[in-house]
Amino acid sequence: MIYFIGILILLITAIALLPQVFGVLLSGGALFNGALDFSSVGFVKTFNFNPLFGPVSFVLDPLSAFFALIILIMGPLGLIYAKGYLKPYKDKGKSLKSHIVFYVALILSMLAVVTCQNALGFLVCWEIMSLSSFFLVIFENEKKEILDAGVKYLVFMHISVIFIIIAFALMSIKAGSYDFSAFSAVLENNPHFRDAVFLLAFIGFGVKAGFVPFHNWLPEAHPAAPSHVSAIMSGVMIKTGIYGILRILYLGGIPSKALCYVVLGISVITFLYGILYAIGQNDVKRMLAYSSIENIGIIGAGLGVSMIGCAYNQPVVAFFGLVGCILHILNHSIFKLLLFFGAGCVYLKTHTRDMEILGGLVEKMPKTAGLFLAASLAICALPPFNALVSEFLIYFGMLKGLSIGSFFAFLILIFAFSSLAFVGTMAILCFTKAFSVIFLGHPRGEKASAVQDDAPLSMLAPMGLLASIALFIGLAPKLIFKILILPVFSVLQNSHVAGFQNVEISKTLSNMLSPHLTILSTIGFTAFGLIIAVGFFVFLKKKMNKKTESASTWGCGYNKTLSHAQYTGSSYVSPFLAMLKPLFKKVFDVKKPKALFPKEAHFSLHIEDIEEAYLLSPVVKFDEWFLSKFEKMQGGNLQTYIKYGLVFLILVIIGSFWIG
Amino acid sequence: MAILLKLADLIIILILPFLISGVIKKTKAFWGGRKGASVFQPLYDFIKLIKKDFVISKTTSFVFKLTPLVSLAGLIIAALFVPLGTGCAMINVEAGIIIFAYILGLSKFFALIGAMDTGSSFEGMGASREACFTSIVEPAFFMTAASIMALTGNFTFDSLSKILENAGSYGVLIIIFAVLALLLMLLIEGCRVPVDDPATHLELTMIHEVMILDNSAFDLAVISYAASLKMLLISSLIAKLIIPESVGTLEYLGFYLLTIFLISIIIGTLESSIARLRMSHVFEFIFVMSSFALIILSLTVTRMFGG
Repeated sequence: MIYFIGILILLITAIALLPQVFGVLLSGGALFNGALDFSSVGFVKTFNFNPLFGPVSFVLDPLSAFFALIILIMGPLGLIYAKGYLKPYKDKGKSLKSHIVFYVALILSMLAVVTCQNALGFLVCWEIMSLSSFFLVIFENEKKEILDAGVKYLVFMHISVIFIIIAFALMSIKAGSYDFSAFSAVLENNPHFRDAVFLLAFIGFGVKAGFVPFHNWLPEAHPAAPSHVSAIMSGVMIKTGIYGILRILYLGGIPSKALCYVVLGISVITFLYGILYAIGQNDVKRMLAYSSIENIGIIGAGLGVSMIGCAYNQPVVAFFGLVGCILHILNHSIFKLLLFFGAGCVYLKTHTRDMEILGGLVEKMPKTAGLFLAASLAICALPPFNALVSEFLIYFGMLKGLSIGSFFAFLILIFAFSSLAFVGTMAILCFTKAFSVIFLGHPRGEKASAVQDDAPLSMLAPMGLLASIALFIGLAPKLIFKILILPVFSVLQNSHVAGFQNVEISKTLSNMLSPHLTILSTIGFTAFGLIIAVGFFVFLKKKMNKKTESASTWGCGYNKTLSHAQYTGSSYVSPFLAMLKPLFKKVFDVKKPKALFPKEAHFSLHIEDIEEAYLLSPVVKFDEWFLSKFEKMQGGNLQTYIKYGLVFLILVIIGSFWIG
Repeated sequence: MAILLKLADLIIILILPFLISGVIKKTKAFWGGRKGASVFQPLYDFIKLIKKDFVISKTTSFVFKLTPLVSLAGLIIAALFVPLGTGCAMINVEAGIIIFAYILGLSKFFALIGAMDTGSSFEGMGASREACFTSIVEPAFFMTAASIMALTGNFTFDSLSKILENAGSYGVLIIIFAVLALLLMLLIEGCRVPVDDPATHLELTMIHEVMILDNSAFDLAVISYAASLKMLLISSLIAKLIIPESVGTLEYLGFYLLTIFLISIIIGTLESSIARLRMSHVFEFIFVMSSFALIILSLTVTRMFGG
């Protein structure tokens, strides 16, 4: 019952708001030929209401509308999927009421976050978002490791919010108002202040988004949460961090050059780090979490390229970097949802997330396998799927940036360019591993061979929809381009780059950008060509009508299937990990076979996060040691506590006299 | 005329891959003191394989059946982005190299999962090696390409032939190192000696051959054609690098065929004169390509910012 109410709320919200969102994103028609003024009436939808701390307006401007579009599509899909996923829990008698309520709260609070134009209101919504997602993560709170992961997530989110609060507090003190529109003037006139605010916001929102070195919560929280929650968190919620950064840029324009380099540098480190660790993981959802870190890095790289383009007054570089960044936000949310949904289907049927004991699922779960394959192709940015378009745009921005004429920019861009290529091949390594170890070959254990049927339709239908959107964007990139133009222009209009200020969008497009935009249609045609070519060859092969004999796999004359002799995920990537040995901390769990007729033997490999092992754990250990010095204060004696209260009160009174 | 030239490109795509492997085999036979089969033997093999019936492993799924077709489709589409016999790619767009690389990536993705689909430990091993070895090639290739594109200010494959006019004496060095880098890429991506020995008979030492152990008939024919086509595409880039821009179209075609022929002979000679590397040393060999890319980058930087 509560499930249907939840889904009804989300669907009604989506149906009510989607036309408005599309209206804002496409209604640029009028704007295309007029001067850029986003505050013009009838274009920006404003909802005002007045709580305790003054008027709070919710505005649907192009940037908000773009993020709202993602939230409005992905939110209901996640809940539809959840019906099948939660069924076993429901059958066991677990109450789902609070879970559904928090899910709806998460989606609605995300919507509020991306539309709220008031600093205090924004922070309140932000906190609701963090808390409701915390409660979603600890769904299976009877397990200790899940509770631990949840607490870790909560701690990280509150470190993040400290930085955001400081940034907003600084701006509102200086501006004397909580309203975003007042911040603009303050930021634009004080470059140093703007740098400080941008840095604080970048750290704060970066924790949410998962930039290295603030990424540690992702690989803990994602495996702990139920699949639809990890999907929404990874596909949609971490993007609100990117939204925050973009909003600060929208308000204040581009910060100093050094910060632009910092953004690009951190993004490059993030995507390399993310994919390297994704390769090493054997837990499928942990792997997907690291791959989200990688994709946040790619999104950040697009942003960094765009910022460098702005800093050097290169409109083409600025445009392509940002449009790639924005499109990759949408693309990533599509295929990451699909991948997490796929992983959820596998978990539902096998009750394990460990890839090493799976295998051969394609036989019993062909639809899940096909959709997971589509998502794997998409995330590796391979044609005919969507990510190729966004990664291409980022690559192109980098290439164009090479001719800026600055030595430093040249070096960092060319290294970012080849690192992105490296990430591409590593993603292929990572996702061929994941797909083939989970779905192909023979089952590697009982859990995999016990699977009888595919996931139910309620889980497969949302996945099918997502896969077709991914394919559509890959086939018709030019159509999707239309909804990206306004958000990109609205962010760039404060950047003081020629071509984006007070100009007609259509002129900028036709004069500056359209010679390059033909490549987009080339990508679309290539995708079409590929599909047609494969179809033609399939037809040709059928037409030849050759006999097919079934035999066992070649095993040097040995004909029995040896499921334990197959390559596992660990062995598949071991030459690669051996090459990059110093970057990982490997934890082996080995029980060697002993005696003449060995009965038991065991081997497993776990890759520990190097940042967690060498940076975070020492800090936490020091904290524990330092805080244990104060244990005596907590003696359990009521009188002592009253004494503390009294001392505190006296100090407060003295302090207030002293200040006042 | 233009249509005739496009037709020439089509014939090159269809026939030349067979000739490349034919010439390599002939060269190896020559150095081995044998007469060797005709250079058209790979084509005869192709036709023979197509006529055969399939034997397919019970373990495999739709992925295995799709793999050869996707590999082939990918390589043929990728061929449209590369300047072949006419010196100009059929689809000549800015940053076409990125699309080219990612289409090849699609072929590789399917080759890898196709091998893993058989559930064979040998094929898993081959896939693992192929994935790891080729992953280091791409960044070096992109770095080389980006350096050359930045230097010439041209973002299509045409930039390869504009190095001399933009960089003078630096250009000569850049071309030499770029040709070396691409030759290494050809050996690695084409799975030739010293990275992999296509003529080896022990599964444990194979890379590419072991991945296709279970393919038969049409599938096998298509895979071997696609492998040769990949070598042709990389050789075409080398040809574009060394043939001067000033020659006419027909001369270009002549020089092009000559270059491809020479490269095949060089590969054949290499295979007859050196042994394959130990598997643990292959990484070191591949990193030579990365160092060539870094040399090209430093030459470019010196030229552009060296004052």
